[in-house]
Parts: sequence; C-alpha cells; structure tokens
Amino acid sequence: MTRVAVDADRCTGHGRCYTLAPGIFDADEVGHCLVLAEEVAGELEAQAHTAAQNCPEGAITLT
Amino acid sequence: MTDTEGYVDQMVAGIAEPQPMYKALRESTPVFRSPQAVVLSRLADIEMALKRTELFSSNMDAVDLGNVRPLIPLQIDPPEHAKYRRILDPLFTPREMARREPRVTELVNEMIDAFADRGECDFHEEFAVPLPCTVFLQLLGLPLEDLDQFLVWKDGVIRPEGAEGLARRHEDSADVAQQIYDYFERAIDDHIASPRDDVLSAMIAARIEGQPLSREELLDICFLFLIAGLDTVTDSLDCFFVYLARHPDHRHQLLAQPDILPSAIEELLRWETPVPGVARVAMADVEVGGCPIAKGERVSPLLGAANTDPAEFPDPDLVDFARNPNRHRAFGGGPHRCLGSHLARMELRVALREFHRRIPDYEIKPGTRLTYTAALRSVESLPLVFPVP
Repeated sequence: MTRVAVDADRCTGHGRCYTLAPGIFDADEVGHCLVLAEEVAGELEAQAHTAAQNCPEGAITLT
Repeated sequence: MTDTEGYVDQMVAGIAEPQPMYKALRESTPVFRSPQAVVLSRLADIEMALKRTELFSSNMDAVDLGNVRPLIPLQIDPPEHAKYRRILDPLFTPREMARREPRVTELVNEMIDAFADRGECDFHEEFAVPLPCTVFLQLLGLPLEDLDQFLVWKDGVIRPEGAEGLARRHEDSADVAQQIYDYFERAIDDHIASPRDDVLSAMIAARIEGQPLSREELLDICFLFLIAGLDTVTDSLDCFFVYLARHPDHRHQLLAQPDILPSAIEELLRWETPVPGVARVAMADVEVGGCPIAKGERVSPLLGAANTDPAEFPDPDLVDFARNPNRHRAFGGGPHRCLGSHLARMELRVALREFHRRIPDYEIKPGTRLTYTAALRSVESLPLVFPVP
C-alpha cells in the first residue's frame, strides 16, 4: 500500500500526473493536481510512481 | 571561466543543432556571462532560478518587446501573478483544449488538403505558420481574415527588421506594439457588445474578488497571447518535422505504435526545446555556482541545456520516444510555467497524428539548406517532398 500526497504550493499545473495516472489524479478547475486515490496498491502503485517521477515540480510524494 | 569557444548566443544566431553547445557550456562554464545575459546551463541552477522569482524576476526589465506596460501574466511575479493565473489557467486546461480538438483536427486536414496532391510543400509556410495562428484566432474569437495581419505583427515584435542588437529593440518593436494595442482595443469592444464562447469573452466576464479585469489588463494579456502563442508552436512544428524527416526510424515508430505519440511529443519537446531559453533579471546581488551576478543583470536560464543535462536524463543524447521518466522543462517551470502548454500539446498531437496518417513518408527536398531563426527555433523555409497518395 502506497500513500499519495501532493504539495499544492509546488504544483503549477503541468498536468503530467493526471495524464499519466488518470486512475489516481484528476485536474481541478484550474488544471492543478487533485488526488483521487490517496492510498493505492497493485497496478495503481506503478502508475503513482510514473506520475511522481514525471512531475517537473517534484510536487508528488509517495510514502 | 574562459572556455567560451563553441558558445553561440541563440538570441543572435539560430542554431540547427544546439545540443553540443549546451553540453560544452554545462561542462566548461555553467554560469556564463554573455554580452546579453548571464546564461545558466545546469538543470539545478535553472530550476532554482525558475522557482525563486523573488531573486530572478520575470518583470519588464528581463526582456523588451516594445510593450509599454508589463505583459500579463509573464511580466508580473508572485504573489500578484497568482490572481491572473487563477482566471487564465481554467481557460487552458487539458480538458478545455480537448473541447477544441475536433475543430483543430478539421483545420489541420484542410491545410493538408491544400498540398497533399502536389507531392511537395513548404511545411513552414503552408502548415507550421498558419496552423497556430488560425487556432489562436478561433480561440480568441477573432476574424480569420486577420491572419496575415497577425503574422506581420508577430514577426514585427519577435523579429523586428533592422534590429541591430537588443539596444534598439524598443524603438523597433514599439510601433508594431501600438498597432497591436489598437487592434485589441477594437476586439475587446466588439466582444463586450456581443459575448460568445471564446477566450476573450471569458476574460471579459471573469471576476477577481468581484472585480472585472481592467481594459489595460485585458490588453496586456492579449498582447502576450499574440507573442507567446503563435511563434512557439510554429517553432515546435518546424523542429519536430525536421527531426522526423531526418529520422525515418523514429517516424516509422509513430506509424507502427500510434499510442506512443503523446510520449514522443514530450521527448521531441525535450530534445528540440523549441523555446531554448527564457529571460529573467536579478533582483539582488546573488551568487550562482560560485559566479557573482549583480542586481539588475539579465539572466537567461537555458531550457535546452536543462533538457539535456545528464544529471536528470540518462543518455541525454538518445532520442527515445518511450523515455520515462521525462521531466523536461521545455515549458519552463515554477510559477511562470507556460500557460499555453496544453494548447501546444494538443496542436502538436493533432498535427503529428493527422499529417502522418495522410503523408506517412516524406523527406526534406534534396539540396535544401535549412536556416534556423534566432531566439526561437523555427526554420525560414522547410521544403518537404513526398509521394502523392
């Protein structure tokens, strides 16, 4: 089980996370990141890692 | 700090393959004082400069495009910057752009119709230039007949004729700038009189804490859209199609694996970095990588160098359409992250998908010498030849 958190102060709306991991993230009304699934397991864990590694602002943390 | 050979300032001369220059800079002089600006070429320094807007401002002193007030939101820094992005960001989300995609798909196919049977085209002149400009006119709800006028204005501001260095830049651009302000004055009047489903109407209707944007604020946003939204997608299309024309294996991969297209676009953005650098100005005496920078000096974070920095990208000279992760900075980063990035991605995705569906095989016309433009990486002309379907 992996916990997903986003630092809203760092997010500037690149949109990489919800493009690459639509099962975990969505866009809010300004296109910034919204976490849909705060705890993920299995296939979604891999998606979460892809999103975190591709965030240009390093705004996603997985624990 | 003396090995400056091999450095070519892209503000002065266009470069076909800038990546070796980026590498040389990063390895020899990662903080390099050129006549125009202090150039940063290491990803870590660039990222710091993009994030720390209180030290490296994007205000009017960073670059002169003939405008009389700050361009909004580019030349306004946080915290004031946020109030404009709160209005503008919702108009440029991936979802909002997806809504525009069918119309852009039609437009792209109309453009291809015009040359598909000819077996050749000037890709720059007939596709890369008119596409983003027409999309822009549609998005803002402006008459499509104004296309040619817009192209003249855009080039007048970005590539003023007879510009002898940056010193005369303001005078060269100011006349054009005034015409642009006047045009948008009329467009705003027209949209106030008859609002419709477009970005300009949405900006007029927007409220910040109950207050609408002033006439000047609307103008300063429109001015920025014109110079930021047209040339950059032209540059990207030119760079991408030159690359794909010269690398048939990569092109074939797009045909064989259509699902790889979004990731291929990210990789081409990384490798080509069509907007090779951005402009900032130091707000205080600071030191970067042991090099002092004085308050008021212009600083240029070289995005193209960040995108080929091996500290972030293993095997940076390998163009791998499946590269993952790919945290490229082709759209910058920090608060000033390119507002139009999702519009650009949509236009590029549609253009590459439809063009390759219709014209899968093409090459640069034999004997062609490509000339890259300064500052933003377009080519002056891109003759392509292809079998007639």
